[in-house]
This record gives sequence, structure tokens and C-alpha cells, in this order.
Amino acid sequence: MTSPAPDEAADERPLEGWCPHPSEVPLPEIVDQAFDYRGDVTVLRRGADPIVGYVYNRETGGPAPFLQMFQASDGAALTVPYAEIHTIHFTGRDPAAGKSYEAWLRRKAAGAGV
Amino acid sequence: MSVPFSQMVTVATYVLRQKRRRRTRYPLVLMLEPLFRCNLACAGCGKIQYPAHVLKRHLTVDQCLRAVEECGAPMVSIPGGEPLMYPEIGPLVEALVARKKYVYLCTNAILLKEKLQEGLFTPSKYLSFSVHMDGLRQDHDDAVCREGVFDEAVEGIREALRRGFRVTTNTTLFDNASPMSMQMFFDEMMDLGVEGMMLSPGYSYAKAPDQEHFLRRQKTHELFSKMLSNPKRRWKFNQSPLFLQFLMGKQDFECTPWGNPTYNMFGWQRPCYLLQEGYAATFQELLDTTPWERYGRASGNEKCQDCMVHCGHEPTAVNHTFSSWRGFRDTVVATITGKP
Ligand code: SF4
Ligand code: SF4
Repeated sequence: MTSPAPDEAADERPLEGWCPHPSEVPLPEIVDQAFDYRGDVTVLRRGADPIVGYVYNRETGGPAPFLQMFQASDGAALTVPYAEIHTIHFTGRDPAAGKSYEAWLRRKAAGAGV
Repeated sequence: MSVPFSQMVTVATYVLRQKRRRRTRYPLVLMLEPLFRCNLACAGCGKIQYPAHVLKRHLTVDQCLRAVEECGAPMVSIPGGEPLMYPEIGPLVEALVARKKYVYLCTNAILLKEKLQEGLFTPSKYLSFSVHMDGLRQDHDDAVCREGVFDEAVEGIREALRRGFRVTTNTTLFDNASPMSMQMFFDEMMDLGVEGMMLSPGYSYAKAPDQEHFLRRQKTHELFSKMLSNPKRRWKFNQSPLFLQFLMGKQDFECTPWGNPTYNMFGWQRPCYLLQEGYAATFQELLDTTPWERYGRASGNEKCQDCMVHCGHEPTAVNHTFSSWRGFRDTVVATITGKP
């Protein structure tokens, strides 16, 4: 399979590699972006080890907002209160990047195995 | 319409029971996603873009059955991912059939022949393979981004029919669909001997890699009107005729997303099969705590403005059939004349 040219692929992964600082982007917004993100993220916690995994839910209402994630290393389902989170880094690969219809047409036109 | 009589009676009885109980929000079809893994990667699909460790996971049969009991819908659709890659698909289907649920197993059919030959399933009026077919050979292979898939699916369909299974097709239409090709496709599917076809416009999933080719509302009306305004009597559609009228612009329905609730490894998905705005731990929590007023076209939510997808609007169409004499008459007339 041929990979799309780097500039084309980069257009399709806008959040990959994003490392927002909580002084610049409010934490609830960072968590929302992590929830929408298609790849794994690294949750940096205050005074505890970072957790790498997929954020599949977040509850913003109530007195103690939290996110829920599957940890990449062992698949454990974890609940992390916002209060424990310093920030989130978008470290995982975006699994949809390079798979657009246009990318398929490019591969097809190039006669690549598809 | 090609839905078997017993299924029509089950659905009608169920809906009338909900109405007698004055339930305004009730489920009709549970969308049960046991896994997100798939052996294809269609550009319009928003269901499979997850990291490998998530794709490796799946629900247990017990989790699936708990969701089915909790929700109580008379029909269960099993999409995915590809449900034939779910290791427990045989026992799951058997348990659903034993509970007299009408099951639509939505598959791309690449593995269908093999699984049938393994004897994984038994024919039943409760089980229908709903095969993903997005058009004629080249259109389908383009839609699923792989050559040869159409032929594999046709082989799977033939094998299922030969063994006495119910087979329907499900087709998602994008803005490059041509009415004439689709009409040829309907002929081809009926020639194959499928029980009926299901159609829906695609939805622009935020997580789908392809965001460019989804139908907008006006284009949807035009396409479906051209395709269906003069239908052949032999074309059978396995869906509400009022929903087809909605796609043609002859009916105006609001979305009722609770009609096709979605359950997967993350929980009960808010608010619908398409949008992932969060998850509830139980079906009741989903019903009670989802801000439903924020969804559907009338809400002004921009994600809903062009959506005409079956999972939000077909339950509305079915509800409409049983809500007024006019709705009932429209459905009966369309069913008898075969003209949506
Ligand atoms: S649309 Fe269906 S067949 Fe295609 S990638 Fe998604 S789940 Fe698989
Ligand atoms: S209109 Fe309904 S089905 Fe469509 S996106 Fe909105 S809530 Fe979901």
C-alpha cells in the first residue's frame, strides 16, 4: 500500500502531536478535544504517572467532572477526575489519517495494492 | 414492502402497546455493536477509527444480552465493525433468536460463505443477513475502497439464499450516486433473490476520514425522487414506505434518536447511532439524562441539519404509521401499490 504524500496526510491529522498547555487552553476544552480524538492520548496527572490510552467518555456535569478511558498497556477501564489532570498530549497516531476517499482514488490511480 | 407478516405484526403490536402506555420515547431497533473491528476500511465509515487496543476488544455475549433485555426493542440490528469477526457471533445470534428478537446481522459478507459453511447459523424467520451493498460492482468496490468485494458479497448472498436464510441488502448513498445505476442495482439485487433492500443517505461522521461526499438534504430529495418516483413492482424495500417518502421529500419527519439506541463497549451512546457525544451506563439513564431537545433538525443543531439517516428518522416514520389514520392510510396505500 502506498502512503499518501506527507503534506496530504498532514492535512488529515490536525490534532496529532498537539501538546496544549493548560495556561493557554482551558482543561475542559482539552478533555473535549481528547474525547473527540481518534487516537490514543497521554493524560498527564498531578503527582502521579501519566496514563496512555483512549478517552471514550467524559462527564462534565456534576460536582466532580471526570473522563473515562481504556489504558493502552493492559486495556483497563479507568476513570480520571478532572481535578487530577494537569494536561493531555495527543501522542497517538490518528487512525483515520490518509484513508479518505481521495486517498483511495490516488492509490487506485497509482495501481497500488488496495 | 417485503417485511414478513409475522414481523409486521410483532412491530405493530409492540408500537401500539407503547402508545397505550403513553410512552413518548420508546426503542424500536437496538443497534448492538459488539466490536469495532472490520476487515474493510471504507472511507465513509465512522465506526472503525480506533487504536489497535480498542479494536481488539469486544463485548461479551452476556453484556450484549443484558443490553437487549434492558432496552426491550423487538428488533436488534448488529452492525459493527464486522459482526462476522466477532468470535461469539454464533451463540449471540442463537440467544437472540431464542428470545424471539428479529435480528438484522449487518455484514459486508466477505466472511459470510465461510461462516455459513462452518454451520455457525441456522435459518430462522428471526434472522436476516443485511448485506452491505453500495451499488453496482465498481460503485460498491469504490465505496468500500477495495476491489473484488462486490463479487465476494454476491457469493455470500447466494450461499445464504441457497441455505434458506433471509437476506436483505443495506445501501448507503453518497453524493456521487447515479439514479440510473441505482435502478440497475435494484434490478440486480432482486435478480439475485434478496428479500428486500434498505436504503439510507450517508451521514457525515466527524470520525470518518471522508468528509466530502455526503448528501445534503436537497440533493437527497432529488436523488431519491429520481430513483423511486417510478419504481418497478419487483423492487422490494425492507423498510417503512413512509421513510422512503421522507427521503423523496414527500413527508417531513423530525428525528427520534431514542428509536434506534446504540450500545457498544463504551456504553449507551448519546444521542444516536451517528453522533458520539457521550455515554450513559444504563438505557434508562440514556433516556432520562440525554438533552434530546438539542437534537434533530428543529433544534437548530448544525450536526442534524442535513441528516436524513434511517436510524434517526425511520422510527419516526413507523411511529407516524400508528399515530393517525392518515399515517396508517399512507403506509397501507404505499404497501399495496408498491409506490413510495
Ligand atoms: S462501513 Fe461497514 S464494512 Fe465498511 S469499514 Fe465500516 S464497518 Fe466495515
Ligand atoms: S438528526 Fe438525529 S440521527 Fe441525525 S445526527 Fe441528529 S440526532 Fe443523530
